[in-house]
Amino acid sequence: MIERPVSFTQAKPEPRRRPSFHLGSRMNEKTGFMLALITPAALVLVLFQVVPILTGANASFRDWTLHDPKRTWVGLANYTHVLRDAEFLAIVLPNTFGFMIATVALSLFFGLTIALMLNKRFPGRWLVQSFVLLPLMVAPVIAAIMIRWMFNDQFGVVNAVLEGLGIAPISWLTQRWTTFLVILLTDVWLWTPWFALILLAGLQSLPPEPFEAARIDAASAWRTFRYITLPMLRPVMVVCIVIRSIDAFRTFDIVWTISGGGPARATEVFSLYAYVEAFQFLNLARGSAAAVIGAIIIVIFALLLYRILNRFVEVSR
Amino acid sequence: MRDIAAASARASGFFSAFAPRGKTVFFALAAIAVCLLFAFPVFWLVLTSLRPGTGVYYVHRGTEFTVDNFREVLSQEIVVRALFNSFMISTLATVLSLGVTATSGYMLSRFKGPIPNTWFSLIYIFRCVPYVAWVLPLYFVTQQFYIFDSYWGLLLPHIAVHICFFSWIMKGFFDGIDPSMEYAAMIDGCSRWGAFWRVAMPAAIPGLTALAILCWLYTWNEFLFALILTAHETPIVTVVMAQFVHELGMEWHLMSATAVIALVPALVVTLFGQRYVIRGLRI
Repeated sequence: MIERPVSFTQAKPEPRRRPSFHLGSRMNEKTGFMLALITPAALVLVLFQVVPILTGANASFRDWTLHDPKRTWVGLANYTHVLRDAEFLAIVLPNTFGFMIATVALSLFFGLTIALMLNKRFPGRWLVQSFVLLPLMVAPVIAAIMIRWMFNDQFGVVNAVLEGLGIAPISWLTQRWTTFLVILLTDVWLWTPWFALILLAGLQSLPPEPFEAARIDAASAWRTFRYITLPMLRPVMVVCIVIRSIDAFRTFDIVWTISGGGPARATEVFSLYAYVEAFQFLNLARGSAAAVIGAIIIVIFALLLYRILNRFVEVSR
Repeated sequence: MRDIAAASARASGFFSAFAPRGKTVFFALAAIAVCLLFAFPVFWLVLTSLRPGTGVYYVHRGTEFTVDNFREVLSQEIVVRALFNSFMISTLATVLSLGVTATSGYMLSRFKGPIPNTWFSLIYIFRCVPYVAWVLPLYFVTQQFYIFDSYWGLLLPHIAVHICFFSWIMKGFFDGIDPSMEYAAMIDGCSRWGAFWRVAMPAAIPGLTALAILCWLYTWNEFLFALILTAHETPIVTVVMAQFVHELGMEWHLMSATAVIALVPALVVTLFGQRYVIRGLRI
């Protein structure tokens, strides 16, 4: 996939033979160009991401409750509080990681299946593809409101269908695991098209020769998929998994809309925990500390993923 | 990929042993099931929007339908303003984000050394920082800059979100473009900026189109930033429709009607853009 072309420096004619002072001025001109290319992006990034993050980090070391107007520096007290909180350790972290793994695995599976399906030619393919892309067009918050409504225990259509089938209605959003299931389904519904789209683009850019060879050797469909399609698609899949895992870790809006973390904080994920600490318990410092802890966890996790990603992309070259 | 289909057809397996057309039927059923699964919540949304306010609690039972909800929603000034604002913000955010990240992605793709490495690590790490860690302070920051509840106050944070991810994807686009044309242009006297703007950018247009469509849809549907960074001056459509069921009572029919109206531009963009998205996303 990402085939790195020869870089500018290598392919430029005769840069090495120049005298050193010349090389120096060239380097400066090149560095200037490089910096100019990233300046606008860096400026926006610093002002609207780095500054807010540092502001939040600063708050996490202080006593930011309402009855302390001086905002005393308390060091790591907020951090130790969060790390000793049984709620955070026993419910929030397992929820977050469980949610992340489940949603990525399921959306990858369904996305790959749909991409393989759409990669064939059949009448009405365009229509199926348009249907599959529907979740991308609906605002996630609206989808979440709608699904909460569909799973409502009195008026929801899901229970009406169950009743029609002779099954006793289930109060979906009052138990931990059914609520978790509804949230998971919503997330999979929202993100499967994204996987399908990128994997389909990846499938269509694969070279045809290995498939021709497999056909000549009369390889079965499964073996063609297992030994040709899957390995060749692996770099795209790894990129998808990395990006989506990071996003799933910080999911906020659909959980907030569907369950609000309930029942009784049983489905809280880490973003929600930080939000609830900051705004419902009105302790911005503790919320910030939770956010920073989450950020550190996900950055470490992402760096590990990045190593894996690098290895796969290297292998595929 | 006719080849895969042909290969699987030749290697006669489970289905053809049972029924010669069984495989086609199975495939058609799977396609229909997929369509139904993906369409159902949207279908339900459209259905709810067509029911009168008294009928929404039993959407699956009633038979009266009406378009009054749409009329009522569109007569509210805030909804119309929100639609306009959302459209402007999405379009501007798309143009500006792509402009800013094309250069940054180009830099990451074409150069090696400490500066690109540092920049890449930075955007990779900042991509991972959860929204909660910076959305709340962002509220104070936009107020400090006096851009809270204005176009810029929502645009610039949106661009900041896109920088990390888009730079990464853009790098992929430019990686796929052979740089020898740019060397040729530079040998013929083109400046570095000229090589970037006149040679590399036109070659990246399929990728840029795909990203533009996804960026537009994402901004159009975004909720959390709009909720926290805007107030009455700059209503945004996602916030307005969510408020129908949060603050102003449970007006499901009005929320659904607004959501269906908001769905139309997204639908148009997606239907006409899907070919370009799939063609352009071959990272």
